[in-house]
Amino acid sequence: MIVYVLGRIAATIPVMAVVGLVVFSLLYVLPGDPAALIAGDQANPEAIAHIRHGLGLDRPFLLRLTEWFWQILHGDLGTSIFTNLPVSTMIGQRLGPTLSLLAVTFVFAVIVAIPIGVVAAWRAGSWIDRAVMALNVIGFSVPAFILGYLLAYVFALQLGWFPVQGYTPLDQGFWSWLGHLVLPAVALGSLQIALIARVTRAAMLDILQQDYVRAARAKGLPESTILFVHVLKNASVPIATVVASGIAVLIGGAVVTETVFAIPGIGRLTVDAILRRDYPTIQGVVLLGSFACILINLLVDLLYPLLDPRIRR
Amino acid sequence: MPAVSIGAAANTLRFVPQSNLANFDPIWGTQYVVRNASALVWDTLYGVDDKLQPQRQMVASEDVSADGLTWTFQLRDGLRFHDGEPVLARDVVASLKRWCARDSMGLMIRALSAEIGAVDDRRFRWVLRKPFPKLLFALAKTTTPCAFIMPERIAATDPFKQISEYVGSGPMRFVRDEWDPGARAVFERSAGYVPRQEPPSWLAGGKQMLVDRIEWIVMSEPATAAAALQNGEVDWWESPISDLVPLLRSKSDLVVDIADPLGRVGSFRMNHLHPPFNDVRARRAVLMAMSQDDYMRAAVGNDERLWKPMASFFTPGSPLYTEEGGEILKAPRDVDAAKRLLADSNYCGEPVTCLVAQDQPEVKAMGEITADLLKRLGMNVDYAAVDWGTVGARRAQKAPPAQGGWNMFHTYHGGDDCTTPANYIALRANGDGAWFGWPDSPAVETEIAHWFDAKTLEEQRVVAGRLNRAAFDDVVFAPTGFFLAYQAWRKTISGVAKGPLPFFWGVSKST
Amino acid sequence: MSAASTPAPGIAAAPVASETQQPKSGLSRIVHRYPPLALGATLLAVLMAIAALAPLLGTVDPSVPSPINRTLPPSASFWFGTDMLGRDLYSRVIYGARVSLTVGLSVALLASLFGSIIGFVSGSVRWSDAFIMRVMDGLMAIPPVLLAIAFMTLTRASIANVILAIAIAETPSVARLVRATVLSLREQPYIDAAIVAGTPPAMIIWRHLLPNAVAPIAVQATYICAAAMIIEAVLSFIGAGIPSVIPSWGNIMADGRALWQVKPYIIFFPALFLSVTVLSVNLLGDGLRDALDPRATGTL
Repeated sequence: MIVYVLGRIAATIPVMAVVGLVVFSLLYVLPGDPAALIAGDQANPEAIAHIRHGLGLDRPFLLRLTEWFWQILHGDLGTSIFTNLPVSTMIGQRLGPTLSLLAVTFVFAVIVAIPIGVVAAWRAGSWIDRAVMALNVIGFSVPAFILGYLLAYVFALQLGWFPVQGYTPLDQGFWSWLGHLVLPAVALGSLQIALIARVTRAAMLDILQQDYVRAARAKGLPESTILFVHVLKNASVPIATVVASGIAVLIGGAVVTETVFAIPGIGRLTVDAILRRDYPTIQGVVLLGSFACILINLLVDLLYPLLDPRIRR
Repeated sequence: MPAVSIGAAANTLRFVPQSNLANFDPIWGTQYVVRNASALVWDTLYGVDDKLQPQRQMVASEDVSADGLTWTFQLRDGLRFHDGEPVLARDVVASLKRWCARDSMGLMIRALSAEIGAVDDRRFRWVLRKPFPKLLFALAKTTTPCAFIMPERIAATDPFKQISEYVGSGPMRFVRDEWDPGARAVFERSAGYVPRQEPPSWLAGGKQMLVDRIEWIVMSEPATAAAALQNGEVDWWESPISDLVPLLRSKSDLVVDIADPLGRVGSFRMNHLHPPFNDVRARRAVLMAMSQDDYMRAAVGNDERLWKPMASFFTPGSPLYTEEGGEILKAPRDVDAAKRLLADSNYCGEPVTCLVAQDQPEVKAMGEITADLLKRLGMNVDYAAVDWGTVGARRAQKAPPAQGGWNMFHTYHGGDDCTTPANYIALRANGDGAWFGWPDSPAVETEIAHWFDAKTLEEQRVVAGRLNRAAFDDVVFAPTGFFLAYQAWRKTISGVAKGPLPFFWGVSKST
Repeated sequence: MSAASTPAPGIAAAPVASETQQPKSGLSRIVHRYPPLALGATLLAVLMAIAALAPLLGTVDPSVPSPINRTLPPSASFWFGTDMLGRDLYSRVIYGARVSLTVGLSVALLASLFGSIIGFVSGSVRWSDAFIMRVMDGLMAIPPVLLAIAFMTLTRASIANVILAIAIAETPSVARLVRATVLSLREQPYIDAAIVAGTPPAMIIWRHLLPNAVAPIAVQATYICAAAMIIEAVLSFIGAGIPSVIPSWGNIMADGRALWQVKPYIIFFPALFLSVTVLSVNLLGDGLRDALDPRATGTL
């Protein structure tokens, strides 16, 4: 087991190296010149060339690539072309808001989705089931930014229950922190809730068909025990899978939510960096992001045997 | 992050800037938003007032020799940097040298400069080889880069590299450790700053700060900024889009007004190096058929107070505005005649590559109008939907369009950049050395030289008329119209002035 | 095992179908037993008809700007109103159906194709499995948004780039699905027997793998189709979507989003159509899953 875990972790290194190489090369061939953007509208070609030289962008590909790998190995993600701040600082600043948003969304989604999926499966075919499916539809078919604006209009502007935008860090007050994250979490989480609820319901239904459930009922076990102890546990593998894959979806969806609610997170940082061709920042973020995703997948894979002893690696 | 006390929060001005403040070196990076932030943190020797006249700011007095070649300046008393050090002539000289390397007027002055140096701690001298009567204007102007005064060690940084310290000479300090580039920038009042006695007027006069703290909150979504302003989460929005203005106006606790009387000049530039626009007839055909009304409505909206057509290359309302030679834009639109002219120019259906930046709303709107215009003229439009970064790189390519070049791109200029030929890079027509598009018109260049030699305003006006005509004859670029923008703020704020950049001095906030 | 013979309850078990009459033909039986399938398929068919018949439905050229008419509310001459360049929104929404449906279906097809091939290879060729799965992991780490922006900046924004970017991002989910099917099949004794007996691999795939894999792939494909249409809207929001000259529901909404408080009709109609379409595709997917193979639920 330990060997397996270590082996998987060791395997991430070559993958990261490949990801790094791919990202770096992709950026190298990308048209668009940060020096031109920096020089501004009034600049002439000489000024742009000077700035490029000042940024070291006119050096050969292999030299820049090896220099970057060397930096990474020393834990240095480089310096942003635009802000002159270390990339790690910039990511560090933005990590708090994004992680907060993702955490609140995740908890909210799971807390809402699994129970309603369970209930919908339990009362399959009834009006509860249909109501849940109807709610799901909204989650699936309304893009997050539309939902975000709608929520902001009703709950922030009209009712005044929450702020329209912004983010305050946790150390400046729990309720202020949470209050800024409620509407974004609902907007971002609606798709998650729909996905998780659907899979939960389907997995539960599947298991509720099984003979041993009928046997448990015949034995006289209370319904709640059957539902939560036996059925849910057996359904947990597919549920865990969809929850994990949802995390990647969340990261992508966070960009939109961060933009609509003006949350200073990593999503917006990455899009801005790409549009400005801030290569070091883009490289740093993508590298860290893929590392995080790989780790999460690893954790979920490790979780499987715990949820379902039949699965063994 | 330090918690903000309740009292300070009441005296914090929360401002939504026109765009993201990604970096903070006003000499190295010349975006408008960088200049606007820098104006809070650094002071200038002179500053223009609302009549565009240079007035003394850091300078107490100046003296120019009879032959116009030797300028001697005396600094005001009590000038200090934010680290407590006094502002010395050495700092000024270093700052001016760095500025000269990047500013177009500065480059001209540097070419004429014999020497610049400190005489003593509070006086410095600039000796020229030829007179440059507009020297004070150059030091006072609002167009980027402005001649901000920094400590000598910071100003010694290579002008093509970013500074890494932000020690200022102006009324507000930049709070570096609360800076989140792309999200927030914070400024705090500098206790040691001694403003002048005169009332403030643009960059001139006393920069008296009436708030203790200013927070710039970057919001890329206009709808979010509008909601935040209505909800009282921000106090002042630099550039609300015109479609949202009626909504903001309808709120009793908000004020909306024109932001900058000098406005902006929209434009598109055609590539003079490659077909079809290397032929002046093709360029004129487009001008004959285009409708500035369409461009302006598309870019700015139906509120006609916000735009006007301009048969000119100069900002409407500025002293040199003239419509001489602009009949091609004023005559009734004639698509058929334009098609015939296009045919005369031997246009054979080759693709016309239009670069349209999708992330700039006014540019994107104008691009769609052009695509439609060219289609109606029967041209084969290759609409390249890219982002501004790609436009920036691709427009610098002189290669043919099929090999990574271009035929046309859209942009706009600040109105203050188009008031005189002095800093008007877009108007130059010196072929290879000109701005992107590389127009080559000896007539235009001659008139520009005449303008620099002109002494009186009357002479300048006469030259401007000829210059305008020459520029239209050769179609240096195509102005798409003059447009204004609004700014909006809550009624708890007072003292907001109109100008080419937001001026924070004299602005107060009541609770 | 037992699940194969009894259909999962789902919505189909609602006491709606009358038990008095046994429906005779196969189609009516499907409709009665699986209302979501029928509803989803019908709605989708209607939308595809609308898209195909766009020029005949009272539309005008959706890409011609007319700035003097900008942002007009719905009226007799402009049924859905006009956008910021004065273009008729009704026409743009109807023509937008073509683009959004094309994006959805193309992505579903491409992702299913690539994913199936990759999943099959990963599941059957053992030494490649670990490597391929890690690559899929890495690929899943790159949100489609970033991929699309990268493609857009590499060349320009276009339908092809949008389809490619989303398809690449959705491929790993199909790959995992097919891989899981292949892996579970490999454990079956009859597969071993077939291999030992010398059955050519193509025959094994055709006889055993495909029938088992088709159902989950089909179901997943519908979900991918729905997701792709939403992601297209998100890409337009970011600015890397299809240029507005070609209307899509995503770019109509993205263009009009700044005005949602004052001119909500610009967003309302494309949002409505998008929701109905995504709903119908999801219903189709749910119905297919219930009808084809209830055991496919939960495996992704």
